[in-house]
Amino acid sequence: CRCRALLSRPAGTLRARRGLAAGPEMHFGFQTVTEEERREKIYQVFESVAKKYDVMNDSMTLGIHRVWKDILMHKMNPSPGTLLLDVAGGTGDIAFRFINYVSSVRERQLQRKLKHRQNLSWQEIFESYQKDKCNSLGDSQVVVCDINREMLKVGKQKAQHLGYSEGLSWVLGNAEELPFDNDKFDVYTIAFGIRNVTRIDLALQEAYRVLKPGGRFLCLEFSHVSNPLLSRLYDLYSFQVIPVLGEVIAGDWKSYQYLVESIRQFPPQEELKAMIEDAGFFKVDYENLNFGIVAIHSGFKL
Amino acid sequence: AAAGGLRRAGWRLWRGRAVVRCQHYPPLRALQASAVLRRASDEHKKEPLTSSSQQHFDSPPAGHQPEQEPQGPHPSYTGQGGQESEDYESEEQLQHRILTAALEFVPEHGWTAEAIAEGAKTLGLSVAAAGMFHSDGSELILHFVSECNTKLSKLLQKEQKLVQLGEAEKKPTDEFLRHAVEARLRMLIPYIEKWPQALSVLLLPRNIPSSLNLLTSMIDEIWHYAGDQSTDFNWYTRRAVLTGIYNTTELVMMQDSSPDFEDTWHFLENRVADAMTMSNTASQVQSTGEAVVQGLMGAAVTVSN
Repeated sequence: CRCRALLSRPAGTLRARRGLAAGPEMHFGFQTVTEEERREKIYQVFESVAKKYDVMNDSMTLGIHRVWKDILMHKMNPSPGTLLLDVAGGTGDIAFRFINYVSSVRERQLQRKLKHRQNLSWQEIFESYQKDKCNSLGDSQVVVCDINREMLKVGKQKAQHLGYSEGLSWVLGNAEELPFDNDKFDVYTIAFGIRNVTRIDLALQEAYRVLKPGGRFLCLEFSHVSNPLLSRLYDLYSFQVIPVLGEVIAGDWKSYQYLVESIRQFPPQEELKAMIEDAGFFKVDYENLNFGIVAIHSGFKL
Repeated sequence: AAAGGLRRAGWRLWRGRAVVRCQHYPPLRALQASAVLRRASDEHKKEPLTSSSQQHFDSPPAGHQPEQEPQGPHPSYTGQGGQESEDYESEEQLQHRILTAALEFVPEHGWTAEAIAEGAKTLGLSVAAAGMFHSDGSELILHFVSECNTKLSKLLQKEQKLVQLGEAEKKPTDEFLRHAVEARLRMLIPYIEKWPQALSVLLLPRNIPSSLNLLTSMIDEIWHYAGDQSTDFNWYTRRAVLTGIYNTTELVMMQDSSPDFEDTWHFLENRVADAMTMSNTASQVQSTGEAVVQGLMGAAVTVSN
C-alpha cells in the first residue's frame, strides 16, 4: 500500500527529490522518470485538469485555499506601483487578489489625499475625481506567467468573466528560464507551482535574476506536517479522498494521484529555506499555515 | 549535495558574522552575492569621513573584483584581536539605512509601511523591501526613538566635556534636567503631527518591552550626566520622578499650540520645580520627624524621673 511506497524510496534519488541537477533520475509522484519525461507528464497533467482546476481546488481543500491565498496577499502587503510576477499563476487567483488589494489601497490613499484638501469647492473635488479615475491601480501591474497554454486560457477567460481588464498580462514561459530581463519585478510569487518545477534550483535562480534589488520572493506551497496525529489524518485524507474526488469531479484519477504524491516528495520547510538561501536571497523565513499543511516562504534580494 | 551543504554552511557562517576570509567563498557564491549590500559598500566609499564612532564595513572584497581599487582611506572595523572584518554591510545595517531614509516621509505618510516603502525607493531598492518590517511601522518608531536617545546622549556628553575643560559652568540639577528633557523633546518637533500615532503603537503589548527599555535607558543617561551617584532607594525614586516628568511633558506637548511650544516648557519648569520642592520637603519632614522623636524621648525621660 502507500506506506510501503513511502518507505522504499531509494537513497539514490535523494538529489532528484530535491529538484537539483541529477542524472536522468527524477521523481514524478512516486514513480521514477527522466527529466524530460517529467516535464512532459506534468504538462499533460495540467492540460487535462485545466478546466476543472478551480472546482477541484475548492472541493479538495474545502475552500480553504482561498484563505491561504488571501494570507499570502496580506503578507505581501503590496503598495500601488508594485510590479508583480506571478509564476505558475495559471488560472490567475493570485493575480486577481493582487489587483483587488492594490485598488483598495489606492482608493484609501486617494481618500486620504482628498481629506487633506478640506476647503476645496465641490467643483474642484469633482475635477480631482476625473484626474484620478484613470489611475485606479496606481500603476501597479501583474504579469501572469505559466508554462501551460491551457491554464493560461482558463485564466484569461476567468479574467474576462470577472471583469478584470487593466494591469494584467499573460505570458507563456518556463519558470526555469523566464522570458524577462534582469531586475524587473518588485515581487515574485509562485503559489502551488514550485512543486511541479523540475529543477527547483534553476527556478530560484531565475527568480533572483528577474527581481529588482530589494525585491521579494514569496512561495506558497504544500509542506510537511510535523504533528504525528495530524499527519496521519492528512495522509488518510490525501490518499483516500482526493483521488476519488478527482475521478468523480474531473474524471481524472491519475492526475490527482500525482498531485498527492508530489506533495509528499517535496522538500520540507527547512530544506526549501536552505535552497532559497543558496539562490542568494536574504532574510529567508517561512510561516506555517494549518500546522504545516501549507507554508509561505519569503526571501529578499538584497 | 556535499557542495550545496558546504555552500550553505559557509553562507550561514558569514551571516552569523564569524570571521570569514573572502577566498573561502566558492566562485559561484561570489556571482550570486548580494547586489545591494555590495553596492552599499561602494556608496560608503564615496561618502566623506564622518565621526569615527560610526563603523563602516566597507573594505572591498579583494578576491572577487580585481578591477575595484583595493583600498580607500576609510576607517574599517576591526574586531577583537585585530582580525579581518566582514567585507559587506550586514542586513541590519541595510535595515537601519532604510529606516533612516524612511523618516523623511513620515510627516506625509505617518509611521506606516508606506513611509518605509518610500524610504526604500530613495535608496534604489524596490518598494517590496518594506516587507522586511512589520506592517504597522513599529520598527520605524523604535528606530527613531533609539536614534533620538543616541543624539541626546552625544549632546550631554559634549556638554559634560565642556564643563570638565572648564569652558562652561556646571548647571544646577533642576536646570540640567530641564535642559535635557527639553532638548530631547525638541527632537520630536518635525514629527509632532504623527507622534500620537507613534505613542499608541509603542504601547502595543508587542512593543512594550523594547519601548520601556529605551525609555528607562534614556532616563538613566540623563541622571548619570546630571551627576547622580546615589546607591540607595533614591536611585529608584529619582528615575521614577523623571520618567513621570518626561511622559507628562510629552503628552502636554502633543496638544500644545503655542508658538515654539512655550507652554510646554513652562509646564516642564513647574514640574521640575515641584520635584525639587518635593525632595526638599521630604528631607525636611524626615528631620522634623527625628526632632519630634527626640523631643518625645526627652519628655519621657523627664516624666520618669
